[in-house]
This record gives sequence, structure tokens and C-alpha cells, in this order.
Amino acid sequence: MTTETQGSAAEPVQDQTAKEAYFTASQGQLIWARFKKQRAAMIAAALLFVLVLSGLFAPFLSPYDPTIAGRNKDYLNGAPTIPMFCDKNGCSSRPFLHALERERSMATNFRWVTTVNEDKRIYMEFFVEGAPYKLFGVIPMNTHLFGMQDGAFIHLFGTDAAGKDIFSRTLHAIWTSLQVGTIGVLIAFVMALVIGGISGYYGGWIDSVIQMVTDAVRTVPPIPLFMAVAAFMPPEMSAEARFFYISVLLGFINWPTLARRVRTHLLTERNQEYVLAAQLCGASSSHVIRRHLLPSFTSYIIVDLVISFPYMVLSETALSFIGLGLKDPVNSLGVMLQNVTSADVLLNYQWYFIPVIFFIALVLAFVFVGDGLRDAADPYSDNNK
Amino acid sequence: MLQFGRFVLTRAVMAMITLIIVSLVVFTLMELVPGDCAERYLAFKNTQGSGISLEDIENERARLGLDRPFVERWASWIIGAFQGEFGDSCILRVNIAQLLGSKFWVSLGICLASLALAYIIALPVGIISAATNSATLNNILRVVSYFGLAMPNFLLALMIMLFSTVYFGETLTGLFSKEYRDAPWDLAKFIDLMKHAWLPIFILGWSATAFALQTVRALISDEIGKLYVTAAAARGVSGARLLWRYPARHALGPIVNSLGFDLNRIFNELPIVALILTLTDAGALLIEALARSNDQQLAGAIIFLLTASIVALNFFTDVLLAILDPRVRKSILR
Repeated sequence: MTTETQGSAAEPVQDQTAKEAYFTASQGQLIWARFKKQRAAMIAAALLFVLVLSGLFAPFLSPYDPTIAGRNKDYLNGAPTIPMFCDKNGCSSRPFLHALERERSMATNFRWVTTVNEDKRIYMEFFVEGAPYKLFGVIPMNTHLFGMQDGAFIHLFGTDAAGKDIFSRTLHAIWTSLQVGTIGVLIAFVMALVIGGISGYYGGWIDSVIQMVTDAVRTVPPIPLFMAVAAFMPPEMSAEARFFYISVLLGFINWPTLARRVRTHLLTERNQEYVLAAQLCGASSSHVIRRHLLPSFTSYIIVDLVISFPYMVLSETALSFIGLGLKDPVNSLGVMLQNVTSADVLLNYQWYFIPVIFFIALVLAFVFVGDGLRDAADPYSDNNK
Repeated sequence: MLQFGRFVLTRAVMAMITLIIVSLVVFTLMELVPGDCAERYLAFKNTQGSGISLEDIENERARLGLDRPFVERWASWIIGAFQGEFGDSCILRVNIAQLLGSKFWVSLGICLASLALAYIIALPVGIISAATNSATLNNILRVVSYFGLAMPNFLLALMIMLFSTVYFGETLTGLFSKEYRDAPWDLAKFIDLMKHAWLPIFILGWSATAFALQTVRALISDEIGKLYVTAAAARGVSGARLLWRYPARHALGPIVNSLGFDLNRIFNELPIVALILTLTDAGALLIEALARSNDQQLAGAIIFLLTASIVALNFFTDVLLAILDPRVRKSILR
């Protein structure tokens, strides 16, 4: 703060406009200005943006269909194939792969054996026509960002036991996780707003009773509880219905923490003079809540939502991992990791673990952005630094 | 002393009320599972070849007391639960208390050990990092604790398994060596348990440490800027003595209070870590109960026991805090 005033004393005119901009800035602008100063949070925000985009455009960016329809039946449990520019026969400006040949004969003891033919190149192509899909769920398209010549396959992250492309699955899984998290957060948010709102606004015995119940629910460890509720899903339920059910459950189980925060904010705010003034003017309860109380802590709520997001994603992953969450045609990290504990995978097919990196990045990005936002939304955080 | 007694009593009553609410939630959930015990028993008999009718199911229901009203059954369940008696599991047809037996205590022991580990690391490191001005140290700690937050325990467990199988050719799973699995408890079995338990303790303690580290650091750095610390420093108190006697003592309250939540978080991870490391504890039984057989009695009992241990821990920390801090025991009574 002090350095700012000293530095700008030389340019009084600019100082004036800067000051004016500061005093007339809206809450949002102030938060953004403080947020921009945090390097880690900005990097995380950029990373998050990239991840969200790659989830959003997953069908376009991924070369193949992530379900069994897009499998490469000749390359099961296949290692990643990385496109290259040079080999022993010289270099090329276009990335290529060596052709894979699969044979079964007397020489291989009648087992399928895959060999790399280093003399035959298959070139990579961009904007190829492939499996049809609907971008954003509406625009029908069949162009994919990249693919291989003559319908050959490229597997940047290898393939799984069914021959599905792990790269394509990862991109789609990011999108699934974001969707689950969003639905869960929204439901938790609405419940928290209603329950925490009633509790904080009315206070008194209503508050005591609601708090007692909320605290009791909060002591139950959520994932075991979650498992118990998820176990009610009939196994014959369709994958889409399961997806929806799981997201709703996440919301239902995660509301108490948010509700408590809403209540605390409301309790401190409702005794402020401006609320009293509004009440004296004859404003109704719902008017006071909507027009005066909610805007006073919108920024806090947004921060809380961002912070609770990664936990939703992680719970979903954990649940799918143990087989109580999402099921196969839907892709999520948990589903993809279901089979990795077998010794076979641990010893031979370590590329099954590549998606984990993306998820750690996603969760970390959310945590950093959440923390950055929390610091930025706190008007007193400047004083501490 | 009288005041302290009243404080303990209020807390005990509050803990009881919490447990009763939780038991209502858990019991309702158990009831919501499609199909009840009578149907299950008879479905089993049916597979043995004897034909059954609707009347048989009704009779069985009456025999098991399932025709009583909901509140009555809940009341009898909760009374049993407080005596450590959860009835029989109708899938496995064994007594739940017997089935859980020492498994629950082993799980609880592992969880408490990881909680202790978390705080043994977090307390000194958190205090030092709050007191130091070194940017590198702070950044390293930040990155470490963020990884603790972002990397769920089951992924960590998977990674450790991946590395141990690739580099040591050993999977490090299980809780007991073969010869001790069914042996009665003695010192040798305990030592064997410890040889295996360090890995789950470490994995479960991992994210708890990250959380605890953040809590400790935030609390201490809040306190460290306050005037009483400056005043103490001006009087000539310095170094570790200053940190321990002033800011650390003030931050103690919230830290002790957060123990319950940390235990909650550890319980969260327990079933999944148990599954990956193929432990045979309560967490693994819970997954078994839910994922494989839909055994609502067993699941309900485990969830209730887990919650009860959190409530108990909260109660003990409250009492402990009241012993340490007179402000706490006065505040509750006013």
C-alpha cells in the first residue's frame, strides 16, 4: 500500500484516476484485481480453463469413440504409441507411426503376436472424418482433430483390456467429472441456501433445532454413508440414470458444510443496520433475504462452491472406483481405474495410470483457484500481506 | 469442580442427542433398502429346495418382529446399539457384534494412529512454517500440503502399490501374516500387525496431515501478529519458548476442536484404502456389506459405530479443552 502511494506521487493525474477507479469499482472488479495478483491462482485458472475446454470439446479432440464402439480390437492392452518425426530411414515433417503387424502362426506358437514394422510408416492426419458425435450434445459432426492415414489407429495413452483408446476416454472422463461436480454442487447449494437461510435468518429455536440436525448429519463420514445410499441403486439401472442419481446424491450428502457457512454469514449480516433499515421500511422477509442479504455474501458463496467442487469430483471417483458409482459406458476416472489393482496391470500395463495425472491436475487447479478466490474475496486480506 | 461437572454433563447429553439423530438417519436408510430380513431368510430357504408362500413370509416377519411399527423397531435397535448389540446380519446369518469383533477395534486403532501421526508431523512443521519468513520453505510446504489435498488417499495407495510391485516385486497388502490371521491376540500377533499396519497408517495419515498442517499454520500465523506476542517478545522471551508459550497456546483450542473432523475425513478414506490394500478390517467389511451383498444390518452397524467414535472423540476433546482452558467451560454455561 505504502509503495503504491509513494510511486504514484510523481504522477498526480494518473493517481487520481486510479483512485477513482478503485473507489468506484464494483465488488467483482475488486475481486478480479486482487485475484490477478496471485501468480499461482492465475496459473491454476489458466490450467482449469484448458481442462474445461478439453472436456467440452472432448469428442472433437479425441480421435475415437470412448465406448466399446471405438475400440481397436487388434490392439488390446496396447502400449502408448507416440507419433515421431524421425526414424532410421530419415526424417519427415509430418509425424508418423510405424505400422503394427499382428500375426499368428506356427512360428509364434499360435498366439497373436504384435510386431512393429519399422520400414512402413503411417502418417498422422489432421481434421479427419471419423466416428460421428454431437458437439455440446447438439451439433452433429464427424470431424476429429487428428487421426491416422487409412483408418489406422493412434493411441497416445495406450489402450485398455477391451482395446478402447485411453486418451479418448480420459478426455470424456474429464467432462463427466465436471458434469457430476456441477450438478452436485448446484443441488448442495440450493439445499444449503434454503436450510442455512431459514436457520440463519430466523434464529432462535428454529436455528437451534436445524443446527443440531445439521451437526449430527455432519458427523457421519460422508463416503461410507454415500456407499450405503448408492447401494440401493438397482443394478439394472441404466448408465445415464445412474449418472444422474449419483450427482444428486453427492449434492444431498454434501449440503451441511455449505449450509453452516450460509447460516454463519446470515447471522452476522442480519444484525447490521442496513437490514434493520429495510425492515423498518416495511420490507418482507423474502425481500430482505433476496435483495439485501444474499448480495452481501454472494462472493463468499461462489468461493465456497469452487472449494467444494473438487471434493464432489473426488467422491464420485472414489465411489465409481469401488464399483458403487458410475458404470461402464459412462467414462469417469473411477470407472477407468476399476481394474488397475490387479497384479497384471500393476506389472505390465502401467499406462492405465496416465489419466490419474489429469485428475490430480484438475483437482489441484480447483483447489488453487478456490484458495485464490477466497483470498481475493476477503476485503481484509490486503492488510495481512 | 461443580461447574466442570455440569459442563461434562451438558456435553454428554449433547453427544447422546447427536447419536440418536444419527441413529435415526442410519436406521431409516437401512429400512429403505428394498426387501427385508424375512424375505431374505426365506429366499435362502427357497434356494435350498423348500417351497415358500406369502404366508410364510408374514410368519417370518412376525417371528423377527418386523411387523412392529417403525418407531418401536428403531427404539429397540438404538437401545441394542448402545449396548454394543446390533442383532444378526440376515445375509451372513451371524451375529454382527461377533463378526465385527476385534476388526472394528483394529480399524479404529489404525485410524487413531494415523490421526496421531498427522498431528505429530503437523504441529511442529506448521508452527515453524508460520514463524519463518523463508519463502522457499513456505512454498515447499504449500505444494506438499496441496498435494495432500488433491491426491485422494486411494490414488496414493494405488501409486504406492504400483511402485512397490514394479521395484520390489511385493504388493505390501493385508494386515496379518498368514499364521496370525486367526490366532488369538498376543504380543506376537500385535507385532505382526504393526509390521503390516504402517502402510495403511501412513496412507490414511497423508491427507489428514495436509489438512492439519494448513489448520495449524493458519491459526498460528493469525496469532503470531497479535500484540501480546510482540509484548512478550519485548519482555525478552524469544525463540521456541515464545512460540510455545504464547501463540501456540492460544491456537490450541481450535486445533483440538478440529480433531473430530479429521477423524471423520480418515474414516471417509478407510473403506477404499482397505479395499486396495486388501485389509480385513471394518472398512473392507463395509464395502463387502454394501457392494457385494446389500447387507443393510451390517452396513448400518458399521456406519453407526464409525459415527459414534467421532462423537466420542468430540466429547473427549471438548472435555480436554475444558480442562486446559477455563474460558471454554464458562462459555458453555452462560
